[in-house]
Order: sequence, then structure tokens, then C-alpha cells
Amino acid sequence: MTYDLIIIGAGPAGVSAAVYATRQKLSILMLSKDIGGQVAKKAVDIENYPGFEKISGPDLVDLYKKQLKANDLSVTLGEVVGIEKNDNIFSVKTVDDKEYKAISVIVTSGAESKLIHVPGEEEFAGKGVSYCSLCDGPVFKNKDVAVVGGGNNGFETAVFLSNYVKSVKVLEYGEKANADAENQELVAKNPNIEVITNAQVTKIEGKVFVSAIYYEDRANKKEKKIDVSGVFVEIGYSPSTNFLGNLVDLNEKNEVIFNSETLETKTPGLFSAGDCNVSRYKQIVMASGQGALAALSAYNYIRKVS
Amino acid sequence: MVIIYSTPTCVYCHSLMEYLKSKNIEYKDIDVSKDEKELEKMVAISGQMGVPVIDIDGNVVIGFDKKRVDELLNLK
Repeated sequence: MTYDLIIIGAGPAGVSAAVYATRQKLSILMLSKDIGGQVAKKAVDIENYPGFEKISGPDLVDLYKKQLKANDLSVTLGEVVGIEKNDNIFSVKTVDDKEYKAISVIVTSGAESKLIHVPGEEEFAGKGVSYCSLCDGPVFKNKDVAVVGGGNNGFETAVFLSNYVKSVKVLEYGEKANADAENQELVAKNPNIEVITNAQVTKIEGKVFVSAIYYEDRANKKEKKIDVSGVFVEIGYSPSTNFLGNLVDLNEKNEVIFNSETLETKTPGLFSAGDCNVSRYKQIVMASGQGALAALSAYNYIRKVS
Repeated sequence: MVIIYSTPTCVYCHSLMEYLKSKNIEYKDIDVSKDEKELEKMVAISGQMGVPVIDIDGNVVIGFDKKRVDELLNLK
């Protein structure tokens, strides 16, 4: 069958796009490797989304699921590996060799954790190196751990981890940690968290599992070692756009370039919304707004071509 | 026998459980944040510390790898 619309991804942008598209009576397939995207990994409560004084990531994901169900929408689990457009029909291929067709596609594939690219990182991934503190944090009960990155994600991760672990060292490359004032305050008053600035991580070491992280103190070029069982990498995200091939133009950060009025990419009928797009700020509310805009634009496109 | 090793805060673990429920597959959920022995067992059988870990009749799958889970449970 050929759907009106395939939505790739089921984070804030994807869910918002699906809800808007279903109100236009489009036949929709949502394809995603998970539900909630980065919201599902959020280590602390969300306090800047309209209508909610405070809500946790997993609770917001539950509400997404409920809203999708109420609209008779379900997410087909699958990782998209490629898209083609032939004779005005898009074919979307998944990692399990399935192929789905649609008149229009909205990409809301979001972003993946950035790697630090130091020796030991790959070797110990899952063996002490983690990119999901919310998932794996409780496994490190009473252990010493490090968080790489002193932005909001790093500080929020440190605060979350401090509920379980013995101590957290936050390693920040810059002279100053960039986390916002509220997070700085939370960390400052937490006796189990120490922030080390000017720290360039050089390697992660261990036998079977992580036992230490090394960094160079950029102020005096001396290498230092911290004994830890866990390393949580929180240095930001890079957009998941590799599977889009030459159907879109990307900027130097691999973010999708789009028409600001419609969110259409350079390929007619292919729209893009959320954290995979060019934007200075990545926020849940912004991704949600783009999802809605992409859905309305896709509806107009579908009406015109069919 | 399907065993899931999980933590309460892991959304992927919940997605996995919901998926198995939707396919009428019975499973036993073990919260490794509460049971150190089970955590050690999970680390021993999977050789790593990330959740979820799924044990399907002795075949160990790390993470919610849907393709592998589908294969092992003959799901389509």
C-alpha cells in the first residue's frame, strides 16, 4: 500500500506531526526505532514545556503514547536506513529489509549522542561507558563515576546520577561550565558532585570494565587519572541525517537545510522537523512546533499532487 | 523463557516490555537496580552493564534489538 504520509521518528516533532496529520485525515505510517527520542533519555524533569509546571521525560513519553493511541496511531518499530523518490512516490527502507511507500515523508529523526573519540571509549561502550544515564545510572549504585561535558545535559546527568552513585566528577573541556544558572546552583549545593574545568579527556581505561578516566589539565598540560567505574558521555548531540543521502542539503554540522516557511527540503514532498534541522537551539517545544508545521505543509503538498 | 533485565528509569526497557505484551509473549522482568545478584548475573551473561538485556531461552540480546528479538521469538 502507498500511505499519504510516512513520519520517520517518534520524538516531540514526530508525535506532533502525526497528531496534526491525522486531523487532516491522512493515512499515516510512523516509523521509528523508539518512542520519545531524546525525551525518553532526559535525566531531569522538563520545566519549560507549556502546560506542565514539571514533568519527567518518561512521563511525557507515556502521554505521547496515550495521545497517539487516542488518535488510532501506532509506531512501527524500525530503523530507517534509506529513502528514495521515484515517480513522485517515496520508498523508505528499514534495517530489517522492509520497504514502505508514501506520497510524502516527514523526517523527524532527531539526533544521537556525540562521541568523545578517545582511546577506550568504543572498547568500553556498555562496559562502563554509557550514553543513557537514565537507563544505566541505577546500575552504578554506590560507585564512583565521571560525566564528560559541563553543559546542561552534563549537569542534569550528574544531578540524576548523584541519587544512586557514591560520587560524580564532571569533566568540562572549557574554562567554565556552560550549564545554565539553575543547573549550576543544583550542582554547587550537591556534595557528591565535583566539577573539573579545563579538562580534556584523553583516554578511558580498564580490564573488562572501566576502571579509570584520564584527562589533561589544559591549564598546566599535566595528565591526571580518576578511578571510576562509569563514564557518562554528555557532550551534545549530532543530527541523525546520514540515511537521507542526496535528497536533502546538509550544513557543516550535518543538519538538514529547509524552507523556513514550509519546512520542505530540497526534494518536493520531503519535509524535515525537530533536532535534525538547522537550528541554534534544540528544545522540545521548538521540535513540537516544527512537527505541526511540517504536517500542515505535507498536507498541502499531498492535496496538490494527488 | 524470556527474561528482561531492566531499570525502572529505562524507557527502552518499557518499550521492549510493551512490544512483547503486544505480541502476547510472557516474560519475567528483573529490576537490576534493586537486586545486586541479578545485576551481577546480567553482567556475566551479557559481558556488559547496559540495560535492557533480554535472555530468550539462553540467547542473550543487548538493548532493544527488535530484529534479533523478532528472529529469536519467530515474530513477524
